[in-house]
Amino acid sequence: MAYLLQQLLIDSVHRSPDKVAVHARGRSLTYGELDVRSSQLARLLRERGVQRGDRVGLFFPKAVESVVAMLGVLKAGAVYVPLDPHAPARRVASIADDCGVRALITTAERLRTLPPRATACTVLVSGTAEGAEQVPWSALETFPASAPPESAIESDLAYILYTSGSTGRPKGVMLTHRNALTFVDWCAATFRIGPDDRLCNHAPLHFDLSVFDVYNALGAGATVSLIHEEITVFPQRLATLIEEHGITVWYSVPSALVYLLLHADLATRDLDRLRLVLFAGEVFPMKYLKTLADLLPRAELYNLYGPTETNVCTYHRVDRWKLAGQERLPIGRACANTDVFALDDEGRRVGPGGIGELVVRGPSVTPGYWGDPEKSRRARMENPLAPYPGEPLYRTGDLVTLDEHGEYLFLGRRDSQVKSRGYRIELGDIEAALYAHPGVVEAAVIAVPDDDIGCRLRAFVAVRAGETLTAGVLQTHCARLIPRYMVPERIELRAELPKTSTGKTDRTRLAAEARVAEAA
Amino acid sequence: MLSMDRDARAAIREFVMDRLAPTTGRLDIGDEDDLIDTGVIDSLGIFQLVAFLEERFGISIGDEEITPENFGSVLAIERLVASRSR
Repeated sequence: MAYLLQQLLIDSVHRSPDKVAVHARGRSLTYGELDVRSSQLARLLRERGVQRGDRVGLFFPKAVESVVAMLGVLKAGAVYVPLDPHAPARRVASIADDCGVRALITTAERLRTLPPRATACTVLVSGTAEGAEQVPWSALETFPASAPPESAIESDLAYILYTSGSTGRPKGVMLTHRNALTFVDWCAATFRIGPDDRLCNHAPLHFDLSVFDVYNALGAGATVSLIHEEITVFPQRLATLIEEHGITVWYSVPSALVYLLLHADLATRDLDRLRLVLFAGEVFPMKYLKTLADLLPRAELYNLYGPTETNVCTYHRVDRWKLAGQERLPIGRACANTDVFALDDEGRRVGPGGIGELVVRGPSVTPGYWGDPEKSRRARMENPLAPYPGEPLYRTGDLVTLDEHGEYLFLGRRDSQVKSRGYRIELGDIEAALYAHPGVVEAAVIAVPDDDIGCRLRAFVAVRAGETLTAGVLQTHCARLIPRYMVPERIELRAELPKTSTGKTDRTRLAAEARVAEAA
Repeated sequence: MLSMDRDARAAIREFVMDRLAPTTGRLDIGDEDDLIDTGVIDSLGIFQLVAFLEERFGISIGDEEITPENFGSVLAIERLVASRSR
């Protein structure tokens, strides 16, 4: 049994070295090539001083080299940090600084956008290397084709995924090999992924959904198609790719599926090979789910649930026959080797019908946030319940209730975290970006619920007297600090924001105004 | 109709610059600059843009025409609009 993620490759390489493991942008790599290339990269990183536990940033658009880079870093005993290739340079740099990346794998073009920083080495996937610190991809060939000796253990970190933080500073969720394998092993057993499957990686690599696509494919000796970012903008192209690549397993956020439903003529397409459709990250609007289920009569549909901190911890298999009468799709019951239950504010277990916060225990739970013991402490609590008191529990912040079938239903958040297009967003993160503009006196971001993408972001801003700001200028300002999907679509400028009787910003009133404006 | 070319391009540019570009932080976009890889047009923006083009130019754009070739740059969008306005 594999206890390190890269070991998932061993059997597949042995069984079918010539089979295509990864496909992206019209290029592909066989299992044999993937194994050799990633071992060479591990040797290179080691020679350049990357040691066990060091962080290595991956900063380039999806390509077959993405998977080489992930495995190469792991084979070096190091930790990879996928950086959003479309995030503003300042945010990428602050993440690289936060976790102290020791090496960077990027392109010459992307490297130029970043402020200069000291690293042991920079490996360039494309473009010309300059100076001794930069290594071209072609240099891999000069390194031995066998990986350096394995020294890591399962509780070592495998990767760090950064998510939105409530104070404007992204937080780095640390995930160990065991965390990831707990999820991958459960998937392999539940979904019976086999060598004939063709998986599809729709989610960005800095998003934990991609852990499913990449590692389940590698472990089963299947093929994974990485869908590059531009194709996801064009629904017809995306649907054609699903047909042409004969995708059998799809996993994405619901909004990506809704996008296909609305614009890709799915009814006219040959999607018979699609046997498994998984979705997670946000609530799937029932009206669209019903349409999807009708269009894909042969596919099994599953709703998966879990924050980055635990990966998937509950699942629900969609029952087509019950769908018509269902108002809310359950997030379901716990995955294998995972325990979930709901606690009230006093730490008492909530029974069926009651409302409580979902907590998770088991080997999939993150050890915490990089460099932030305080946040790590707050996200975890000691188990107040027998028979395992004192054991760490992860608090999801999600309010749930247990239905009469023993399945959990998601009811809402305890805090101001929202989901838009499946992205997890802290409204405070956006407000911090707005406040960073010297002309902004007050800022409130409101998430207006939306069937197609989860919610739309609206901002209300009070501007310093005498300042001549526009919504466009403020959006441009935000776009330099936060990723595109977090920049409010509309920003309304006011002399001041409405207040409650206690003097706080009246968010309820702003939310009502935003909804009215939306409906207009 | 002869003056339509410049007007169309100006209108497309204005929409791209005012409505789409600000959320990417880009202040300067040339008529031939890539709009897709740079993220100026994303999955939200593209249908806002299509709705704008349909209304502004009185044309209808089918889902099958929403391709990287037709929306890759301001010029490409202008060509699409011109081909539909004849």
